[in-house]
Amino acid sequence: MSSTLLYRLSFAIIIIAAFWIRIADLDRRPMHADEANQAVKTGELIESGHYAFDPRDHHGPTLYYAALPIAWLRGERNLATLTETTVRLVPAVAGTLSVFLLAALLGKSPVSCRAGPCGHAVSARRSGVATRASPTGPTPWFRFRWNAPSGRISEIPAVSTNPGGVKTPSRERNHWVALLAAAFLAVSPPAVYYSRYFIQETLLVTFTLGAFVCVRFWWRSGSLAWALGAGVALGLMQATKASAPLFVGAAIIAAIITQVPSPVAVRPRLHAALAVIAAFAVAALLYSSFGRNPAGIRDAFFVYGPALHRANEGAGHEKPWWYYLQLFGWQRNGGLVWQQLLFSALALIGTVAVFFQSNKFPRWVATYTLLVGATLSLTHYKTPWHALHFVPGMAILGAYAISAAPRTWLGTFVAVVTLATQFAQTRLVAFTRPADQRNPYAYVHSAPDVLKFRPLVETILASSPDGIVRVIGNEYWPLPWYLRGLPHVGYWSTPPDDCDAALVIATGEQSTAVREKLRGNYNESYLGLRPGVMAVIFTRRP
Amino acid sequence: MTSSKKLSLLLTFVVLLCGARAADEVPLKLDLPKPLFVGTPRPVQLSNLEKPRTGRRPEIMVQAGTVNLSKGKTVTSSDSLPVVGELSYVTDGEKSGADGTYVELGPGVQWVQIDLGAPAKLAAIVAWHFHSQARVYHDVIVQISDDSEFKKGVTTLFNNDDNNSAALGTGKDPAYIETFEGRLIEAKGATARYVRLYSNGNTSDELNHYVEVEVYGQPAK
Repeated sequence: MSSTLLYRLSFAIIIIAAFWIRIADLDRRPMHADEANQAVKTGELIESGHYAFDPRDHHGPTLYYAALPIAWLRGERNLATLTETTVRLVPAVAGTLSVFLLAALLGKSPVSCRAGPCGHAVSARRSGVATRASPTGPTPWFRFRWNAPSGRISEIPAVSTNPGGVKTPSRERNHWVALLAAAFLAVSPPAVYYSRYFIQETLLVTFTLGAFVCVRFWWRSGSLAWALGAGVALGLMQATKASAPLFVGAAIIAAIITQVPSPVAVRPRLHAALAVIAAFAVAALLYSSFGRNPAGIRDAFFVYGPALHRANEGAGHEKPWWYYLQLFGWQRNGGLVWQQLLFSALALIGTVAVFFQSNKFPRWVATYTLLVGATLSLTHYKTPWHALHFVPGMAILGAYAISAAPRTWLGTFVAVVTLATQFAQTRLVAFTRPADQRNPYAYVHSAPDVLKFRPLVETILASSPDGIVRVIGNEYWPLPWYLRGLPHVGYWSTPPDDCDAALVIATGEQSTAVREKLRGNYNESYLGLRPGVMAVIFTRRP
Repeated sequence: MTSSKKLSLLLTFVVLLCGARAADEVPLKLDLPKPLFVGTPRPVQLSNLEKPRTGRRPEIMVQAGTVNLSKGKTVTSSDSLPVVGELSYVTDGEKSGADGTYVELGPGVQWVQIDLGAPAKLAAIVAWHFHSQARVYHDVIVQISDDSEFKKGVTTLFNNDDNNSAALGTGKDPAYIETFEGRLIEAKGATARYVRLYSNGNTSDELNHYVEVEVYGQPAK
């Protein structure tokens, strides 16, 4: 079997495995309040075709629109028939695509490939500049080796020469590093967990990787198509979350710090301007609900005031600066151990190693990852899904560290052990304990008790078809998702004057006020919403 | 017209009137408020959120010489291999509730059983499931028996399974929020060798936990 065939087969297996891990038992975990909130919005979009961007506590529209084709394909035409599996397929597909894009980022441009292993030949000739081996091109960045006796990293001549006399990388080795990085991302606990979670973060990471792939290919080929592709990806990033500029800014600063050479494009500024226009057009199209709500474009800018305030104040989500380090380190919580030590150690080794060699791209990866990590760590507002932005960079750096192993068998052994431990953690995180409050990624997660609300309400409505069900409080999500499609269910922040009903569900802080307003005779019981948050169930006695 | 005919006419009129009204009736359209969309919920960092009452728990009166009979006694369970903790934690005297002091049983209906070694006259049982967070355990049922299989001579001391979801019979006792005080269940002098406590998950997760169980009574003579 040729190495190319083996590479392609391995890559296909990784992509299939990544997809399978992301779609297996998607409806197993109860819906988080955020997922439920966004799934109900998606259901309303499917049902009515209406969506208007809401800048208060909500992110961009890509998540909702991305769910539409999947819902149509699965025959779900309204909120009542929409399922957890359908909405969670959106991040699952995006997460799988991110694995593909990570490998593509480490591969070579399909455009430049036409010129041979090194894509600079075409574009360099087109631009009239001398042919050279660009540090940002497919030059091997795995061309050094740990020198065991001296304890130093030294460069090794891992480049080869193609028939045209242009220096080319050790492509085979590059391929395997790309595979390894993709495999690390495929089985990463946070990447898998949030690829099964109907929130924006996985989409944002995927669009970010898409933008990086396009920019890198454009950098090396000078093709306007890649510039426009990058613009579209940037627009999708912005239409996904208002935090997109943070990652764009980190990428630009990292490029400046690492002093990447100029792109080969003849008119790079024009290409950049067209990319920005494409980005704005895509973002505007989505924020304006495809022209139906032009005010959405204005609202997209208004997000930043409250968002910056929240980032600075924490808004109840403040955590210590080392919070993300702990997620990638080791923690024991309630008798369960959560760790990514080996993966993080490899990424750390890779980070140190890239600064001992001349190739710019891995340095850029390391610098970008450090910048994003530092920024998010110094921001008071922290949630575990932000950790997702570290994983692609760490996967590349980890693969890079393994490629620098002095012996092939040692690198293979470390890679296998790391992948195995990561997969074991992913199994614990995403399958065995997906909603356990000790799971560091199950953040303020809904309790399994939320699955009991719908049968309860259905029983009550069956016994008193004209009765109403009141849900009272400020902490009732994800109940609107679980009670979707049921008649006579209403929601109040505070108890109304006429509070009596066949069933009253009061979240903790309102239960006393509800109890005082009820005039009939009720049985009281409890069901959980989240760890530490309960609903008091008042069932009217017959 | 006889009075019976008058009554028949009146009834006919009422029935016709009701029928006419029924024909005019339409389903009541309720315009109930829709859910508000809010941001990510904040993590709750509260312990013993809700006090079931103000002040100390009323003391119960027991016979002199009543002691904790369960300390260090053998514990068995429907989940013989707990993932977290050990069954011996149930009777080890450590009830701080911190990590490493509770045993975690699997999801669904699970039980722990304490063998007192010999039949004893019981005064009270105090159970701490998990008290570092406000939560309610579902279907808490406490039974005593001289039969280790709990097939005969079973006395139920407490049962708050109001819908028989544990399939051990419906109970009328109230659900309660876990606190540091534990739940005190009076045994009222019943005699038994074995004490079995059931639960069926809780409001935070589907698992079952025990920090400590104390069984008070008169030692067997």
